Amino acid sequence: MDNLSFEESLEQLEEIVNKLEKGDVPLDDAIDEFNNAMQLVKICNEKLNNAEESIAKIVEDNGDLIDFNTNE
Amino acid sequence: MEKDYVTVSEINSYLNDKLKSDLNLRNFYIRGEISNYKTYPSGHSYFTLKDESSEIRGVMFSGYKSNLRFEPKDGMKVIINGKIEMYEYRGNIQLYAFNIIEDGVGELYVAYQQLKKKLEKEGLFDKSHKKQIPKYPEKIGVVTAQNGAAVRDIITTIKRRYPVCEILVFSTLVQGDMAAEQIVDQIRNAQNYDLDTLIVGRGGGSIEDLWPFNEEIVAREIYKCEIPTISAVGHEIDFTISDFVADKRAATPTAAAEIAVPEIDELKYKLEQFNTRINNSIMDKLDENRTRLNQISKKQVLKNPETMYNIKQMQLDGIMGKFGVISKNIIVNNRNKLFELENSMMLKNPELITKNKKEQYLRNISKLEVLNPLLTLKRGYTITKVNDKVISSAEDINKDDEIEVVFDDGSINAKVI
Repeated sequence: MDNLSFEESLEQLEEIVNKLEKGDVPLDDAIDEFNNAMQLVKICNEKLNNAEESIAKIVEDNGDLIDFNTNE
Repeated sequence: MEKDYVTVSEINSYLNDKLKSDLNLRNFYIRGEISNYKTYPSGHSYFTLKDESSEIRGVMFSGYKSNLRFEPKDGMKVIINGKIEMYEYRGNIQLYAFNIIEDGVGELYVAYQQLKKKLEKEGLFDKSHKKQIPKYPEKIGVVTAQNGAAVRDIITTIKRRYPVCEILVFSTLVQGDMAAEQIVDQIRNAQNYDLDTLIVGRGGGSIEDLWPFNEEIVAREIYKCEIPTISAVGHEIDFTISDFVADKRAATPTAAAEIAVPEIDELKYKLEQFNTRINNSIMDKLDENRTRLNQISKKQVLKNPETMYNIKQMQLDGIMGKFGVISKNIIVNNRNKLFELENSMMLKNPELITKNKKEQYLRNISKLEVLNPLLTLKRGYTITKVNDKVISSAEDINKDDEIEVVFDDGSINAKVI
């Protein structure tokens, strides 16, 4: 589950939500799905919250990456 | 001889058909200087287009005028895209303008149109070739001038909307003769950096400024580029070839950034919604199951197990009751049968039996009579005997044998001859 892309995680989440809301999932399966969903929510939240200020870099002719400061 | 002439209407209509059937006159570019330019209340504009030695009348209908980015004036050198037809009412051959471009830029415009037509024909703008722009990119590349406003707009917008995204800037000239080649190089270079999306563009400017993005090599490189590409050149009204060939066109660099990344707050909200909905639905599921459990456990049987016993007891009683009735019935039936037998006529009157038997005997006797051989004799048959033995075959009798022939009413002796 950890190597899912953010988009895939969201898609899986949406799928689970729709499945659970339909209500015809047996209780045991529903609980499994619920646990999966909680895991996915956690992973997505981490991705969204842990990022600091996004980094902009400029690719130099020699391939070096140096910080790009927009406030110059 | 009567129809040796044509009418004016006929000749004008004939000429107009000739003009209309000439494809060279249907859609072409003409260069000249505008004079006598006048717009009527209808919104249509009339003018004369001329060069040093010649002139032609022209009209631009109001529908086309809304596309014009400037108001034409007398003395203006222009390139007009249009067609030639005759205004039959006046017999005037006229230029019907679709578009008017100021000369200078006019030549570029013509080149632009030609390249656009060519690449379109080759399929470079085909929708089927366009790649989907990733919704949640982790790394975005920007091919533009590092000192321009465009790069700043893009970075600021991305940081604001989706700060989890990394941005790599591939700096290039964006105007002048060297620009196109540099843009091509950087698009190629960008493909080594594992990017999710590439933005190629610059801020607004004159058509000459934007020209590199109308160059064929740039268009072809964008087409070849394996990264989903957003073209962001100039302001809203400027369409470049890059815009058509890119996977997505953005009106401005800021708009490109908005297309490239989602709004993080919206995403967080979406996640929260998912979270709530999942929790709600699992709660509903649990409630539903709990209710069912309650209902089941409330049932009498589970509350007082002896009721189950009672039910079985009652069922047993029922069966026993039925069994009693049935066995009683059997006894009564048999008793009745016995009673009937005891009281039957036969047993009460044994002489009836003898009488019956006698009658049966007599019937049997009469049956036997039918088989009695003596009765056969009555019908004229005889029995032949030799020495008291019945002869049934002619071979048993020889010549001179003495035989006894028995009749019904007596017998005679005879000799075989």
